[in-house]
Amino acid sequence: MSTILVVDDETQILRALRRALRARDYEVVTACDGEDALIEAERSTPDLVVLDLNLPGIDGMEVCRRLRSWTQVPILVLSVREDEAGKVRALDLGADDYLTKPFGVEELLARVRALLRRSLLDERDGDPPRFEVDGVVVDLAARRVTRMGADVHLTKTEWALLLALVEHPGKLLTHRWLLDRVWGAGYREDVEVLRVFVSQLRRKIEPDPGRPSLIVTDPGVGYRWEAEATQRRNRESSGRRAG
Amino acid sequence: MSSDVDRSSAGYVLRLMRPPRARRQALAYAVSLVGTLVLVAGFLPFRDDIEPLTKAFGFLLVVVATAGIGGIWPGVFASVLGFVVFNFFFLPPYDTFMIGKPEYVVVLFANLVLSVLISLLIGRAKERAAAAEAREAELRTLQELSREMVVRGPGEDSYRAIIGRVLQMFDYRAGALFVRDPAQSGGLREQVSVGCEPGAIAPGWDPRSTERAPERLPLSLGSNNVGLLVLTGARSAPSEAESRILRAFGDQLALVLERDRLLRKATEAEVYRQSERMRRALLAAVSHDLRSPLAAIKASVSDLLEDNVAHSPEDRREALEAIDSESERLNTLIANLLDMSRIEAGVLHARFETVDLNDAVARSLGNVHRVWPDIRIRDRLEEGVMVRADPVFLDRVLTNLLDNAARSAEERTSDVEVVAKRTDGRVTVRVVDHGNGIPTEEREMLFHPFYELDQRNRRLGSGLGLAIAKGFVTAMDGEIWVEDTPGGGATLAVAVGSAGP
Repeated sequence: MSTILVVDDETQILRALRRALRARDYEVVTACDGEDALIEAERSTPDLVVLDLNLPGIDGMEVCRRLRSWTQVPILVLSVREDEAGKVRALDLGADDYLTKPFGVEELLARVRALLRRSLLDERDGDPPRFEVDGVVVDLAARRVTRMGADVHLTKTEWALLLALVEHPGKLLTHRWLLDRVWGAGYREDVEVLRVFVSQLRRKIEPDPGRPSLIVTDPGVGYRWEAEATQRRNRESSGRRAG
Repeated sequence: MSSDVDRSSAGYVLRLMRPPRARRQALAYAVSLVGTLVLVAGFLPFRDDIEPLTKAFGFLLVVVATAGIGGIWPGVFASVLGFVVFNFFFLPPYDTFMIGKPEYVVVLFANLVLSVLISLLIGRAKERAAAAEAREAELRTLQELSREMVVRGPGEDSYRAIIGRVLQMFDYRAGALFVRDPAQSGGLREQVSVGCEPGAIAPGWDPRSTERAPERLPLSLGSNNVGLLVLTGARSAPSEAESRILRAFGDQLALVLERDRLLRKATEAEVYRQSERMRRALLAAVSHDLRSPLAAIKASVSDLLEDNVAHSPEDRREALEAIDSESERLNTLIANLLDMSRIEAGVLHARFETVDLNDAVARSLGNVHRVWPDIRIRDRLEEGVMVRADPVFLDRVLTNLLDNAARSAEERTSDVEVVAKRTDGRVTVRVVDHGNGIPTEEREMLFHPFYELDQRNRRLGSGLGLAIAKGFVTAMDGEIWVEDTPGGGATLAVAVGSAGP
């Protein structure tokens, strides 16, 4: 059973989230400001933190930064629609995903499940370096991609980009983070370059490049490797192999 | 600066600016004539007993006095006059222009040369002293004007005062200051006029007109023309020294105009920045305050709507209650925003009635309890206190005050009290909390819309409520203020008219 730390200064939101998560058998601890959040995170070592950015005292951004200095616990940030910059900054500081208020419980639960599954995966060593989606096979160990059995050539940069995405399944990766990781610190603002390479990569590995299901765009923020799609299919394929 | 000093220094300047030169010269000629006459009359009875040289020194004295008063030309006149009179009356043979002894020729001409020389020297020294004095006066005038310009802040009143000083110092009747304005035809706009109706002085001058040409003083910074000062009056054209002063004054006035223009621009920019910051803060606060209850409602409702989860009856109940209270919060906030816009638009008109204070407080308590179900409010009012108020406004005022108290009380889980007191024609209602209190320096800002004590916490919160309370209280001719609660906390007091016995 997973423990979730919910941080929000609005009592009613806190209560609503606690009710909803407890009804689905999650253990819930709560905090209503930044300091409480940091203390609670240390005390109860949660499996996931749901963190409102707008907090009195130490704000959500700072909580994010301080948490990341000692733990890799997945952080789901709650923000308002007007605060685009704040949300991107939180993601740059190490938050894993965000949700815009107001949101429905089903949305929250989907994100919570995705992030928890990822962190469970992270703990398990030896991830299958191979996945197959609708006729496109990506073998990371062999650095080989085939589509309907035919080899697809990926350039060095495309490989680097693919690896960066695949290593963080489900996590929303900001433009800045991806540019920094694949191209280096000097290219952090070059979003256009990233856009071009993502679309090239999609043409090579997406079953339907027009409607991407593996590399999903979060407009204005970044890209996400859709973990659920590959994991489900991997499970199926490894099942087949076993059988 | 006192007006006495003003007047005397201006008088000083005027005296030096236009020395009565002609009068002084006339006086000098008179002195030389009278002096010579007195000498002749004085020496004549004893002209045989006195040495010619002694008499010559007497005439030298007259020359010195004349030159001292009138300068070179009266001095030379006195010298020649002395030469003639001395020769005629005092050099033997007397009463002729004949000269008896050769050495008398030497005495006579040496005396003439000496007299003329002395006149020249004294005259020149006098001119230099006068020039130095005039320059000093120039500088003093200019200094006075510049001090005036620097001391006075920007604005039309200072321009008016400065131009007034110029009119007074230079004896003009009226003046007008024009500043460069590309939007106007001719590129000039009248800023202020002194001594005449606005618009009476035109920036341009028609040379065919029969009137005296006005003094037109261009104000420029380098090659950049910033304005024009036009002075009119019945006086003659300014002297060279006066023109110099006026030009220097014009340069300084140009600097001042430019300084003021830049200052105005900077202020405008600052005001814009402030209002922009305010607008942003307001937007953030409205968005947060509207969205928070909405987020709680949406989360609760979407949770209840999911079929595949079994909610306990307690959870269902709690969720529904949360939805109810959060809807109420939203409703309150929207009402507050609408009230605020009505207050800011200035369309509030109180409809006075006799209102039972107990009823009003009871209604407001009901409102507050719906949002803050756990708060304990004790009302310690006597029965039958009647006030003259708009019942709707009074409800909103009391609700907002109680809501504010409930917010600060919630942090400390203490009670809120409501008390009322009647004093000569007025009823003062006090809402007392035992929260953290309000620092003195923040009290003025407390009733400012969108002000929050905790600036990091960008909420509309109580700031809006108190601003609205103030708006309604003012519309009812009442008063609202903050006091300290003895032992800690804040007390908000409202005074309205009494309607009871």
